[in-house]
Amino acid sequence: MPPKGPAAKNKDIAPVEEDVIQAVILAESFNKRFKPLTIDRPRCLLPICNAPLLDWTLESLALAGVQEIFVVCRSHPELVKAAIKESKWSKPGSGLKIVPIVTAKQTFTPGDALRDIYTHGIITNDFVLVTGDLVSNIRIDEVVRVHKERRKVDRDAIMTMVVKESGVVHRTRSKGESAVFVVDPETDRLLHYESVTGYPKTKIARIPREVLNEHPECEIRYDLIDCSIDICSVEVPSLFQDNFDYGHIRRDFVHGVLTSDLLMKNIYTYVAKDGYAARVQDTKSYDAVSKDILSRWTFPLVPDNNHPSSHAYEHRRGNKYFPRDNTVILSRTCTVGTNTLIGSHSQIFDNAVITSSVIGRRCKILPRAKITNSYIFDDTTIEADCVITSSIIGTMVNVKEGTVVEKGCLIADEVTVGPKGLVKEFERVSKKTKTLGAASSTDDEDEDSELEDIGEEQLEKLRADLGTGSNAFVWPPRTLILEDEETDEIENVNNLRLMRLGDNATDSPVSEAESVSTDDASSPSESDVEDNLDESHSSASSNASTSTPATSSKGVSKEEVEFKLEVTQSLERAFEEGHSVDNASVELKTLRMASNVPLSRVREAVIAALVDRISVVSPEDGAAKQKVEVEKVVERWGELINKIGGIDGVETISILQNHCATTNTQLFGQILVSFYQNDVIDEDDLKNWQRLPASRTGQVDSAENHKKFWVIGSRILQQLLEQDSEDESDEDGDEDDE
Amino acid sequence: MDFEASQPIVKSEFIAVVLAGFGRELQPLTSNHGDEPCPKALLPIGNKPMIDHVLAWLEPSGITDVLLVCPTPHRRSIADHVGSDASASFPSLRIDLQTYGDPQDSSFGTGSILRTFAHRIDRDFVVLPCDFIPPPSLQLTTVLNKFRMESASDGSILTSTWYEAPPQADKPSGDEWGPHASPTSIVWDERSESLLQIEVPDSIARKTDDIEIEMSLLSMYPRLKLTNKLQDSNVFVCHRSVLELLRKKRRLESLGKGFLPWLCKINHRRSKKQAYKTLLQPYRKMPTLANALKNSTLNEPGTVTYKEEDDGRITTNHGPSTRVGLIVHKAGDGIAARASNLYNYLDINRRFLEQASQNQTGPPAKVPLVDAKAQISVDSSIGQSTRVEERAVIKKSVVGRHCVIGKMAKIVGCVILDHCVVEDGAKLEGCILGGSTKVGAKAELLKCVTQAGFEVDAGGHYRNAKLEISDWTTAGAYDDEESDEDEESGEESDDV
Repeated sequence: MPPKGPAAKNKDIAPVEEDVIQAVILAESFNKRFKPLTIDRPRCLLPICNAPLLDWTLESLALAGVQEIFVVCRSHPELVKAAIKESKWSKPGSGLKIVPIVTAKQTFTPGDALRDIYTHGIITNDFVLVTGDLVSNIRIDEVVRVHKERRKVDRDAIMTMVVKESGVVHRTRSKGESAVFVVDPETDRLLHYESVTGYPKTKIARIPREVLNEHPECEIRYDLIDCSIDICSVEVPSLFQDNFDYGHIRRDFVHGVLTSDLLMKNIYTYVAKDGYAARVQDTKSYDAVSKDILSRWTFPLVPDNNHPSSHAYEHRRGNKYFPRDNTVILSRTCTVGTNTLIGSHSQIFDNAVITSSVIGRRCKILPRAKITNSYIFDDTTIEADCVITSSIIGTMVNVKEGTVVEKGCLIADEVTVGPKGLVKEFERVSKKTKTLGAASSTDDEDEDSELEDIGEEQLEKLRADLGTGSNAFVWPPRTLILEDEETDEIENVNNLRLMRLGDNATDSPVSEAESVSTDDASSPSESDVEDNLDESHSSASSNASTSTPATSSKGVSKEEVEFKLEVTQSLERAFEEGHSVDNASVELKTLRMASNVPLSRVREAVIAALVDRISVVSPEDGAAKQKVEVEKVVERWGELINKIGGIDGVETISILQNHCATTNTQLFGQILVSFYQNDVIDEDDLKNWQRLPASRTGQVDSAENHKKFWVIGSRILQQLLEQDSEDESDEDGDEDDE
Repeated sequence: MDFEASQPIVKSEFIAVVLAGFGRELQPLTSNHGDEPCPKALLPIGNKPMIDHVLAWLEPSGITDVLLVCPTPHRRSIADHVGSDASASFPSLRIDLQTYGDPQDSSFGTGSILRTFAHRIDRDFVVLPCDFIPPPSLQLTTVLNKFRMESASDGSILTSTWYEAPPQADKPSGDEWGPHASPTSIVWDERSESLLQIEVPDSIARKTDDIEIEMSLLSMYPRLKLTNKLQDSNVFVCHRSVLELLRKKRRLESLGKGFLPWLCKINHRRSKKQAYKTLLQPYRKMPTLANALKNSTLNEPGTVTYKEEDDGRITTNHGPSTRVGLIVHKAGDGIAARASNLYNYLDINRRFLEQASQNQTGPPAKVPLVDAKAQISVDSSIGQSTRVEERAVIKKSVVGRHCVIGKMAKIVGCVILDHCVVEDGAKLEGCILGGSTKVGAKAELLKCVTQAGFEVDAGGHYRNAKLEISDWTTAGAYDDEESDEDEESGEESDDV
């Protein structure tokens, strides 16, 4: 309706009943990355900067002008309900209508939750779908507007995904779970979605070729953070209903819609240029998002302003936040570093050091405790001389004196550790409950399944270090737990490591350095075969694991070995099948060209083959017989030596000498004479050879033989010069004796 | 031709290698005319041999040394051409003509040619095909400058040129002259203007329906463009070390389809690059800020392999890059094209006509041999010494030199090479006539291509056909043999 443009716009602005923006919050994570912190409460109620995550999400949505919110919860629904009731947004006049929806325990995926939404029939309009762990200040209403505009043009546009531009590496971008987006740059239409996992590492992104048919130019983007804010049309829940196998919104729904030939629906992306949006999907992003809030990336959502739990904080230099009500007791000698938030009524005693951490309300940090990069919930006491690094510690925890908590630990509510305990890195500690071992309580049956397989004594062993006063036990590391039926690739143990707080994954199978090198090993199919072909013109004989030509020198030697082998084989064939000398020489020439080796190598190989061909007659049979043998071979094949592409008699003699010396063959003299008689070499060659200093000395290990052969050669030469060719046999005999 | 003596002491920066092929895709235009070859390089585009367009492009860039490589049988005619008027029109070019291969050996790729003539290339070089017709808006200097800059900044050893294919508005819809070339899809990075991946034809055949992109590539260049709109001009500016690599990778026959994809591939594979490091040493270190940072005391050795730039892009500092630079020429800035097949050849000729007609005002200068009653539209061009007889109609066509166009002949949208005879009343539409073609009276040809010297009998009707002479020995008495030569001919009504 182009002529009515301005009028239509006015209508949009006017508060018409049907333009209420609805939102659905999936307040269930469907995974266990925060265990055991989430035993007693749902993840959406974990505090981040001292306010429950859900409140941050509500705040984000309220900021975006959403008016009606449905919160889908599964675990601990009563807690979620209570939290919503208490929230400031439930107060009259907040302008928000929040409706909790409790789904069945059998809801295992976001897809199930959306099917549930569909059966409730509450969605009347385009709605915003977010997860309950979102912290954002993106103007979602703008995205909704864009989406609605697009709907007018393209009825098949069913979803707009909000993504944020970043680099490949970003603190809020999960290494374990990301995606490659193929987008049409003109229309922002999403053409293909390829999810990427950190482990097993995705090595190749596959993009269907038909994408190019309709869109001759598209962009492949790996620099987008999926904020999981989706503007969905009404038909999205019904699509989930129709396709009961859609579980995950991205991997199943988006991928399914884009690849389906039947649905004919389009999904668009909205690249948020400014604004902040991040999900608390795992402990690592919990850390990142907390730091972002403290360093005010989320402005106007910051602790000193719009704090979702209405705490009032004062912002001081260095991003330190203290309650405005002056209830915090700070010792004169304590140190509070940058990027730190301290909740009201907390006490920090002498010489305690707190940096880059969030301390909850009513906490006590006793003297000389050192807290770095950690998150401590309400009512927790850290006793004297404790050291806590990169960990999350629940409410009402008592870390007794002298305890060390190493990086990446999660300590659940009401746990006592110490005194002088040690919580090793990445350990997960929770209170011993009676549910352990015995049949678990009704609610948490699936949640404790992780522990069932582990024997009592093993647990005892694990908790040995916790300290004598501890009431806790240590969860066995995830690797020990037998993989149960749920082997989702994203929830793979190694992949989860990429999502852990404090885990820089240097020791994990996907460490950065290694991942680069495995890039090559990953695709031996084409690249390496190709290389091998190049290095040595042999076929598949080379080892496939030598993915790249290791060193050039090695390559050369290998090449030569290959070549020698080839020559020997070729000559053997010639000998066996009685080829003509010409044919054999042609074959050799080709080989030489193919392997690109110098002529002398060929000569070496030929001479070696000839000498080996001569059968050695035992000395008793006498020299004459031996001479016949030599003659037989040289007469037939000697010509070959000069037909391989060049004539160099001196070299021929040297090579013969070398070969005989190294293999300890005593036929040097006879062969030499035979060569002479068959015109392979002439007198001048002999003379020149004799003059060469190298002929006399030779190599170290065979110097003796060299010398001997040189003497023989000289003698032969002498005789030849005297034209005395009659009593060679005698000479030979003498030589053999020497 | 030995120019060694006259060479100046200071060597110029680049040598141009112009490759003239057999022109297999342009058959039957390039088939032999009797014993005389019809080299592709000498086929006219806008009444000028296509090689002249390339040489004219080369000249203003300041390159003076040209190594022109052509097939052995073409040597004489090309030498004649280059020796006669070309050297007159391009006085600054020193052209060294070399030959390769024999006509039967079709597997002689550009890579192999470069390997063969490596000894004649002693500096950085520019490879040009003889059939690339650059638009006036794209200067070779632009391409050279990009190469100069990139090779200095990060050691890039090759710069390629790609152009957007012209809009396919009036492309012949059918595939009467064989299939259209399937587009290649490439992956490139707009920001750094580097070419990152090329789909080679064999990979299309081998793999299924997916384009595979390695994640290591995506990690280096997270925002990529994937497109099949661009076409390779086969103009490459190469560093000298490319020859070394070519020598090492003997298997890669073709430069554009073999070597380039390989080079793109090793760029994002660190260990591969390490392996070829010794060969890739063109990296003339420039005092850049990155180097300064690397040498500063703030930088702990070994810790920073990746550094995140302010725009979020990750740059990796390890050794020389094998990045393939690329220049993209948009269709909007003037049409570039390669006369690589018959469609393109016809298309380019038409474009030249359009351009020419836009430039000139008023009717074309009267050629004395054109009859006053002949109609020649503005967007046509007639070569010298061509006789056009009365009431012939010529529209949107190029007619070569020394042709004879008979009375009442109608020629629309055609390219007619030299020495053709079109007899009275013949009708030609969308045709390409090879040199010395003779079209009999009242013959009708629609979208046909003829081999040089072909004779269309009077009154013959052909449509969508490649008219070739099968056997020259029986050339005198071939009368009704053509009917089985034009395999795809829809309807031929012979009336011999």
